Amino acid sequence: MKPSVKNGVALFSPQGFLDSNNNSAFLSIDDIDATLKLKVDMVLVSMKKVIFFNRNGLDIFIKLFIRLRKHTQTIVGFCDYNHKKYESIKKFYKDDINFSLFRTVEIAHLFSSNFKEENKSILLYSSDKHQRSAMAIELHNNGHNPIIMQTSNEFESKKQDSDKYDYIIYDTYIGEMGNKIISRVRGNAIIYTVLSYLDTNISDNFNLAYHQNSLNVGFRLFIFDAYKVTSMNIHALNFFAKLASSGAEYNATICFAGLTFDKTPKIFKENLEDSGILFYEQMDDILENKKLLKELGGSSSANIKTIRSINKKSVVELPRFINATVATIEMMTNSKAIKEAAEVHKIEVENKENKIASSIGYYGDIDGMVILVFPIDIAKKACELLIGESTDDMELILDTLAELVNIVGGKIKTLLSNDDVKVDITLPRTYQNIDSLLEVVEDKKGVQVDLSFNDNKFLFFLTR
Amino acid sequence: MVTNDDISDFIQKIPPTSKILKETIHLLNIGDLTKAAKIAQEDLALKSYLKNIVNKPIYGFKNEVNDVSQIFGILGISQSQQTVYNYMINLLNPSKWLLFKLNENSFHELQAQLSAKWSIILQHLKIGNKDIHSSIALLPASIIVTEALFCKYIDDVNLLRNTKALDYNTILKRLCKLSLFDICEKISIEWEMDKIIPTILQSSSGLIISDDEKINTLGKWMHLLLFYELSQTTFVEANLNDFIDFQIDYVEDIYEDFTNIMQMDK
Repeated sequence: MKPSVKNGVALFSPQGFLDSNNNSAFLSIDDIDATLKLKVDMVLVSMKKVIFFNRNGLDIFIKLFIRLRKHTQTIVGFCDYNHKKYESIKKFYKDDINFSLFRTVEIAHLFSSNFKEENKSILLYSSDKHQRSAMAIELHNNGHNPIIMQTSNEFESKKQDSDKYDYIIYDTYIGEMGNKIISRVRGNAIIYTVLSYLDTNISDNFNLAYHQNSLNVGFRLFIFDAYKVTSMNIHALNFFAKLASSGAEYNATICFAGLTFDKTPKIFKENLEDSGILFYEQMDDILENKKLLKELGGSSSANIKTIRSINKKSVVELPRFINATVATIEMMTNSKAIKEAAEVHKIEVENKENKIASSIGYYGDIDGMVILVFPIDIAKKACELLIGESTDDMELILDTLAELVNIVGGKIKTLLSNDDVKVDITLPRTYQNIDSLLEVVEDKKGVQVDLSFNDNKFLFFLTR
Repeated sequence: MVTNDDISDFIQKIPPTSKILKETIHLLNIGDLTKAAKIAQEDLALKSYLKNIVNKPIYGFKNEVNDVSQIFGILGISQSQQTVYNYMINLLNPSKWLLFKLNENSFHELQAQLSAKWSIILQHLKIGNKDIHSSIALLPASIIVTEALFCKYIDDVNLLRNTKALDYNTILKRLCKLSLFDICEKISIEWEMDKIIPTILQSSSGLIISDDEKINTLGKWMHLLLFYELSQTTFVEANLNDFIDFQIDYVEDIYEDFTNIMQMDK
């Protein structure tokens, strides 16, 4: 069984009966190896469609969890269960729960470092006060507002007003959590939350690939939320200095918000400033100051000094990229594509109205970025298969479009690997209008292919 | 991905029932086991299938049963009709399974397990109607339909399911506005099966709640039985566990009864 992967969470969804007779069938050696190679924050097993299970049935997943924890900082556990199942799992493993239990997969996302939303109002209760505190801290660190209930009665009474809260957390248990540095996106800025004492571990806990991908897809402003940092040593200093110099190629800006130097040598600040890192007392000093935000590159992503153009390597692979894209859109819309024109120039989008876009980067043996520009109607149609119904909810459409472009990226990766060209793909990015896309790519040369699906124009652009 | 043309192609390729099969079913319908056996043994493939199925351990016969009249005699009218229908479904089997890791033997095993356990369930529910007995035969057709429609698109399906846990029935419904069970219903119409058979099958999808309480109950038992079987090692390894969505809430009220019967059976 293979998991589905969304927003950094890999989810296994077994169905029916899980016991000692069949447990090993759910996870083959290949499945375990493939899961170990996934670059995700969480690996969860959904119990939603499991009608019967016993300890032996769950053991195969526990073995996977142990291997994952040994090799990575991945958060592991079960989700999507009712109270009865929650109690059963806790009873089976009462002395040895190193994994987490999330009542729903949506609640699990709140604890993931890749969760895109913040400032959620969350009613929280656990009979275990240590768990209450641990969950509250994690949620707070992820940018949410947990409201902690101390007693069951208090919780039951507040729970009646469920409309007041975005999420209600109970029957949830957090085991060993990841130490990864949490990242969240605010407009065109990426915010990393760093905590306590920063030392050599920062290079292990910082997701460098994610950072690099963010640079590749056009993010230029990176803010370290450092309110809870007590101090740092020379290893952390070196890490930030290197990060700043590697970002210079992209004209990226790195800032610290809320970092105090009470217990950190003042010379560190000077060294970091020499590397180009900026310091602000409050996060809002940056995010609420539109002029400053623009100067720092957080309102747009256009001010790239080093413009990289399409190269021969990418052009050679172009047919594969187009085939992957066309095949995916054809698959999702069940309609045929007609290729109308292919030219090398800067991106040209006619009639910017009612169009949305998405991009995905790839890096490895070759690198570059695929950009897709959709008329909204085609995007809606292409997303219907994933959503299950027609919708006008733009947030949902953009979110689903990101999934669709992820499928395109996956297909590109597969097609290239058939020719021994190894690449990884970045997280997809979506653009609600063409102007925000142009801020990222308008100066870049690339191959533009105009396609037509049922007489609707669709644009494919490959650049670096 | 799968289109309505693929579905039309599949339906057009459903083989017509032969004269022998039609006559056998007619004779079983009127309860003439002796004549039915005489006719059935003229179809060597049917004869071989009947022997193969009936001699599986699940039927529990100590000595090998070879003669068709002996087989029909042992099975009785209801189970004989069910087994002949199983044979007909078997005619749709692909020459090579690509999407699911199945083969002729494991598919026969699934048919045998479902049939035998369905009989136990109907005994528990005190239902003797032979068409209701036969209704289980149509259920594995949904697996054959999935294999036939999706085997050309394995890579696409894998990419799609890597992003979102969509079952084949949902994919098909969203793409073509037809479910796997609708296509199975078309097979039953093509083969002139009794109307109650596709009705129970539709209900067993767990997605269509019948107004007829009796049909609804049978649908629940069939749905749970399917997932009981799809949780067996062979079928989990064949990637069948999540080929359609298990509707856990739908079967909740019969679950205790179901486990009691299956445990008694062990």
